[in-house]
Amino acid sequence: MCLSTVYKNEKTEEAVVMRNVMSIECKDGCVILTDLMERTVAVEGTLVSANLVDGFVIVKEN
Amino acid sequence: MHIDHDHVGGHGHPHSHTHTHEHTHDGVAHTHAHDHEHTHDHGHPHDHDHLHDHGTEHTHSHECAGHCHDCASKCEHTPMEELTALMKYMVGHNAAHAKELADLAAQLEKIGNKAAYEQVMAAVSDFEKGNMRLSVVLQSLK
Repeated sequence: MCLSTVYKNEKTEEAVVMRNVMSIECKDGCVILTDLMERTVAVEGTLVSANLVDGFVIVKEN
Repeated sequence: MHIDHDHVGGHGHPHSHTHTHEHTHDGVAHTHAHDHEHTHDHGHPHDHDHLHDHGTEHTHSHECAGHCHDCASKCEHTPMEELTALMKYMVGHNAAHAKELADLAAQLEKIGNKAAYEQVMAAVSDFEKGNMRLSVVLQSLK
């Protein structure tokens, strides 16, 4: 239930897509992220990995 | 390309789930998991459509989950609002972890390790005291 930081392609500060992400949905070729403030970001691509211990997720943009 | 985004809107309904409250017996603070009905804010997902042209930027955002009639002017959250939301989350998150630790302690007791049980429950008590301090800060932020 921890919040995560989502990165695009690589885990670098420059690649942060969204912080404090509370939900991720993969739908219609998009990875849809929702943060604690209920803002959403949709990345057209795929979810590569999710580290639920360290709280980070990597998505790959098409 | 149309995609549906699920959004959630915060509101509450009475419901119950298991949680813990710290209390004291013979001067020793500890918790037990229990159920009772209560209400807190939560959301229900719902959908709406967005139109995106092919070949345009793929990454986009929708502030405030579509609850605002005029997102451009009403969707901004102040730093204080964001910090308060994060603090509220953390307090709830810590409470959930305290319960997990109490459950772990119960398992230690069940397998006969009374000393470990008591130490973990003491840690839970300390954890909950820290979280109580955070709750006070949270109230001051609201």
